[in-house]
Amino acid sequence: MMTTEVWMGYLAHHESDYTVIQSPFVLDGVRVFGADSDATTLAVAALLHRLNHETISMVSVPEGIDGSSLSAATGVALLGEEREEASPWELLMSDEAIVVVARKNARVEIPMLDVEVEVDRGFHDALEAAWERELSEEHVSQGAYVSRAQYDEAAAPRLQLHGQSKGEVTVWPPRFTHLVDGEVTSEKTLQRRGKVLTWTTLSAAGAPSEFSLRAPVLGGVSTVLLALHDGPNGVFLTVDDEEIEFEMDAPMELVFRRLYAQEGFVRYGLKARAIHD
Amino acid sequence: MKCLVFFEAIMVDVAVVGAGQTKYGNHPLGLKGMWAEAASKAFASIDGDFEPGAVQEAFIGSTAFGGSQLGNMSALLTEHSGMDGVAVRRVENACASSGFAFRDAWMAIKSGQADVVIAGGIVKMNDLSPERKRYWLGVSGDTEWERLAGLTFPGTYALMARRYFHEFDASHDDLVHVSVKNHMHGSMNPDAHIQKEVSFEKAAGGFMVADPLTLYDCCPTSDGASCVVLVADHLAHKFTDTPVWVKGAGAASDHLALHDRPSITQLKATQAAASRAYDMAGLTPRQIDLAEVHDCFTIAEVLATEDLGFAQRGEGGRFARAGEGRINEGTTTVNSSGGLKSKGHPLGATGTGQVVEVFKQLRNQVEIKRQVRDAETALTHNVGGSGATCSVHVFGRER
Repeated sequence: MMTTEVWMGYLAHHESDYTVIQSPFVLDGVRVFGADSDATTLAVAALLHRLNHETISMVSVPEGIDGSSLSAATGVALLGEEREEASPWELLMSDEAIVVVARKNARVEIPMLDVEVEVDRGFHDALEAAWERELSEEHVSQGAYVSRAQYDEAAAPRLQLHGQSKGEVTVWPPRFTHLVDGEVTSEKTLQRRGKVLTWTTLSAAGAPSEFSLRAPVLGGVSTVLLALHDGPNGVFLTVDDEEIEFEMDAPMELVFRRLYAQEGFVRYGLKARAIHD
Repeated sequence: MKCLVFFEAIMVDVAVVGAGQTKYGNHPLGLKGMWAEAASKAFASIDGDFEPGAVQEAFIGSTAFGGSQLGNMSALLTEHSGMDGVAVRRVENACASSGFAFRDAWMAIKSGQADVVIAGGIVKMNDLSPERKRYWLGVSGDTEWERLAGLTFPGTYALMARRYFHEFDASHDDLVHVSVKNHMHGSMNPDAHIQKEVSFEKAAGGFMVADPLTLYDCCPTSDGASCVVLVADHLAHKFTDTPVWVKGAGAASDHLALHDRPSITQLKATQAAASRAYDMAGLTPRQIDLAEVHDCFTIAEVLATEDLGFAQRGEGGRFARAGEGRINEGTTTVNSSGGLKSKGHPLGATGTGQVVEVFKQLRNQVEIKRQVRDAETALTHNVGGSGATCSVHVFGRER
């Protein structure tokens, strides 16, 4: 049974042996990445979609996808190259903004979808150029600095919403004491949903300096404070590739996207997008 | 019980006998020059004979901002202000750095370890490129979660403002009233960064920085230094006939990040610090004649008037709308100096800069139009970040 749906801002097509994730954005007939998407964000969406249907413990990842962030975001281990032949699942990339998670040796057919959002070439090229500059090793922004070690340490809470719970109390981000009211807590993965408590849009000139290359192209950056479905509050950027009309108490979901790059290393995170039920 | 009696027996009262500051703004001098100017003015303001060498302990608040000495800055500063050899250290609590430096100085005397102490603060912000400046302005927020979510301090306070409007009978117009009032006060203060009034219409239509906060809701980035001299009670009248007494002191902290706080329309650290300071002083909010509150953004003043007890919860907007904080118009004058909004906000210097204003007001030494009539009591309120740290001090003409 072939099904296609909108999934985390992308187009997901599910088959028994594989799942295809396609960017909805098109330029000159070719699918291109959205403003804060790349192969890694599509791959995470593909794996999370597939995990709704079956258990995947390991996956092989091609060059061009940040395996470390993907694993942290999905909980799926990466299969080392030396055991490639034993991989039951693999991620496949396309020349376009399309990623597939498939059983090894499955026959994959990319569906032609008529859902397309045509992007403006000037906007697309300007953002591509900004990301390229931001990603260069030489680009050391003057932004508040989150080191690789710090990013990795908080990867599970940041990318999978791992929190702590004890009885009715849920804590996120987790505390290093691992205590709530003085007692040991258990780990809890929070749902990626919440409702809007407040929001702001920073002007391009007022955006943090680590966003300074892209903020002028985007017209600023927007942030929401969400009351997460499981109790704690969280502050998140909104997705760059969708227009959002903010409203108090409006439901939002959290999806995996690029935040910013520094010293050649992309910091990924969860961003909020509107839910239109 | 014997220990308690002994502890109480050595407690001393603390007085401010001197206070001075540079003009805030784009200061032509660097760190050493600015500090020397502030310290010299503080020493010169002391009525009796005073030698800088008499200072036993020095606490200097700073975020170590700017293109100059970062580490070990405090020793360099005292070296250039005649206090060679003094036991000095830098105190860092973001924008509350010198509020806490003042608290530390007060504690040093209160505990009996020193009799003559200075507290001060300094920041040089305007010698940096815009890029570097924005870096420093963000380092005191929650880096790992809020900053990665694109937030600067204008953004953080914008989140608070919008939520406040949603929860209470308030709107951006109330913030505009704060801006207009503080610009009006600052226009009369020769030490203020921005010495000009602004109309309601102009403030309401300012360039949007972080929706809903406009340029006129945000304090400027200022250079500046401030310094105050504190002494033990038995020395106070040796230096002046009109000491300003520290009647109450309180400080507290809260979650660094907004998302960890149960409410973002009140600052728990302010409430706790104020409660302790009022209790120690034996005063209520209605007995405070003037308050210098931390209005880094206009919404911060609205929240502060509530958290400090000048307005009921949810009534801070009405307090601003009614002009109750204007000089000599309400029960408590709020930010007679112009506040951070107009006087300026040289981060580390702000806390003791507030004490400078209070010191002068309680001694009837400010410009006549700015003088709060018959001022007997005053309060300073200094906040670090979006409310993670806060110090509150209550002052009086009477011991």
